[in-house]
Amino acid sequence: MGLGARGRRIEGKTEGKRGSVNIVSARQSASGASIRISRLEKRFGAVSAVDGVDIDIAAGEFIALLGPSGSGKTTILMSVAGFEFPTSGTIHVDSEDLTYVPSNRRNLGMVFQNYTLFPHMSILDNVAFPLKMRGLRTAERHARAEAALATVRLAGYGHRRPNELSGGQQQRVALARAIVYQPRVLLMDEPLSALDKNLREDMQLEIKRLHAELGITVIFVTHDQSEALTMADRIAVLRDGKIQQIGPARQLYERPANLFTAGFIGEMNFVDVRVESVGDDVAVALPWGETWRLPATAAVEPAVAGEAAVLAVRPERLQLGVSPAGQVIAVTLSDVVYAGAALLLIGHLPDGTEMRARIPGASQLSSLVPGDVASFTIPTEAMLLYRGKRR
Amino acid sequence: MTEAGRSHFWHSDGRRLSGLSTLLLLLPFFTIIAFVFVYPILQLLVISILEPHPTLDNYARVVENPVHMRVLMRTLWTAMLVTALSVVLGFPVAYYMSRAKGTVAALVAVCVILPLWSSVLVRTAAWSFLFQRNGLINSALMSLGLTSQPFKLLYTQSAVVIAMTHVLLPFMILPIYGALRSIPNDYGRAAAVLGATRLRTFLEVILPLSLPGVVSGSLLVFLTALGFFITPALLGSPQEMMISTLVSKQIREVLDWPFAAALVGVLTVFVTLLAIIFSKMLRFDRLMGNAS
Ligand SMILES: Nc1ncnc2c1ncn2[C@@H]1O[C@H](COP(=O)(O)OP(=O)(O)OP(=O)(O)O)[C@@H](O)[C@H]1O
Ligand SMILES: [Mg+2]
Repeated sequence: MGLGARGRRIEGKTEGKRGSVNIVSARQSASGASIRISRLEKRFGAVSAVDGVDIDIAAGEFIALLGPSGSGKTTILMSVAGFEFPTSGTIHVDSEDLTYVPSNRRNLGMVFQNYTLFPHMSILDNVAFPLKMRGLRTAERHARAEAALATVRLAGYGHRRPNELSGGQQQRVALARAIVYQPRVLLMDEPLSALDKNLREDMQLEIKRLHAELGITVIFVTHDQSEALTMADRIAVLRDGKIQQIGPARQLYERPANLFTAGFIGEMNFVDVRVESVGDDVAVALPWGETWRLPATAAVEPAVAGEAAVLAVRPERLQLGVSPAGQVIAVTLSDVVYAGAALLLIGHLPDGTEMRARIPGASQLSSLVPGDVASFTIPTEAMLLYRGKRR
Repeated sequence: MTEAGRSHFWHSDGRRLSGLSTLLLLLPFFTIIAFVFVYPILQLLVISILEPHPTLDNYARVVENPVHMRVLMRTLWTAMLVTALSVVLGFPVAYYMSRAKGTVAALVAVCVILPLWSSVLVRTAAWSFLFQRNGLINSALMSLGLTSQPFKLLYTQSAVVIAMTHVLLPFMILPIYGALRSIPNDYGRAAAVLGATRLRTFLEVILPLSLPGVVSGSLLVFLTALGFFITPALLGSPQEMMISTLVSKQIREVLDWPFAAALVGVLTVFVTLLAIIFSKMLRFDRLMGNAS
């Protein structure tokens, strides 16, 4: 059958009497499992939902799958959970091949977007449900369910019905239910998107805390990039079923690997340029006739002389005024927006390309008004060069 | 009517209706109900205790005559049997319909709904052809060598039960299908990932959540079966009458309106009691939280 030691342990649990013993041993070794997703492909008819995805997840890591709608995030998660079998590729958890193992024998935890608490059961019975499926006695499973409710700070809510709880509380119950049987992997598909902003931030902290406490491996699907940036150790950016970039938040933000990631994560200014020559530095021609020399490190993708390229700069990297530390641009302002901690300046370059700048310490700049031509310096190290054209 | 008053009529946004618009929306319905349902029933009940003179004799005749009580019990039993059979036959179909997609599913849905477009009389007549001494069923049994003599099928209580189940099955399937369809797919997935086998998922999650559909389907089938007339009259045996046949006989042949009214009165009491019990069960289910 090819099931490893772990598979047998899971089967043992469902057999009943021996269940509690096994759960105790699981608790002692409570920690995350490593996950290896290799060349995963999933086609629905002509649609390629997942197209050759490789992700190696270390034990205890918190990884976020981030991407626009339809990029295949859910499909990947469904394959890991066992609700979809991939067209090709494999999924290993702790070196055990789970690709075609049914969901109920994978022993993974999962939290869904819409809580999915069973409405006909009390909160306690909901949390105890996975223990019941593993054959634990009533008293035992109630005790464990109570303890799990306490970890999500809902002790004493056990007798209520799901519809008597707020959305945030329901999602915390779902979390308790997903961890009560000590799974080594926790899967979450946009678990917070049904909650309002404040609650979402509370829950983000709650999930981070649980992750730290339990050492569980987490795969977290979201299309909210700030959520991914704040929560995850590493983020996999997806588009059309392919991984665009995978790395820690800082790397994704500071040096996006391609134009898509550059535009998808955070705000970015793009200027179409033409590569004139490539040597110790890269010379690019700007649309309004200037030529800039950029350090070779600015080219994220190899630059080729004569080809079109895109120059990318984060709005917060622009500095107001003229400085020798970089290139100077003249921006005709069209909007001056007070945005709390920073001032957002929107304008256009001589050729009409839109340019945004976020300048902290807004008060001294209040003299700027739409119509002014302001000079900004782009620090040399803030410039990134990609192949192709901006969209 | 003022602009403000007018604006109360169209609340597609879910705001509460004003008293006036509630009245206007419901008035036609309740007028019809009052004239063709409440009034005749009350009239019958009045007849049953006031004619020929104020008395409970008519009821005494129903309760004291074992023949009449047997008709009543047979009616209740038949309705129960038909309901039980409909649940057993209907649930799997509804379950299949709620899961399946594509051509076969559409075909099944058509098979369930299409019979509703033909009259009960037609469907009952079809059964009487099948059940005849030399009908399709008997000739099939005989040509297969399973029996040498034709069975007596027509004019039996079994024929009534089979045909009524067939006629009423859609009324069981549709509410169960509705209840099953309203269970989000994620519930089944959640149960599976939490360790439940398909069977346990069905028993612990899907079945309990579909119970409101089973209860309302059962209520619909049972109450309709109690008053069913055409099928028992055409397929049943005269020795094993059902209450509707008895009532019709009293009215049309014996012309004993007060007694027929008393029969209806007894049936009404039974139905009311059962309706109360069923609706208690339904409310119990709502308490179990079908809200989210
Ligand atoms: N059961 C299915 N049948 C056919 N196509 C499907 C099915 N499930 C997903 N797809 C397609 O696969 C692609 C990826 O879908 P998926 O649900 O994984 O995207 P997602 O990244 O989770 O998007 P979202 O952010 O909207 O949830 C989409 O084009 C979708 O239409
Ligand atoms: Mg999704």
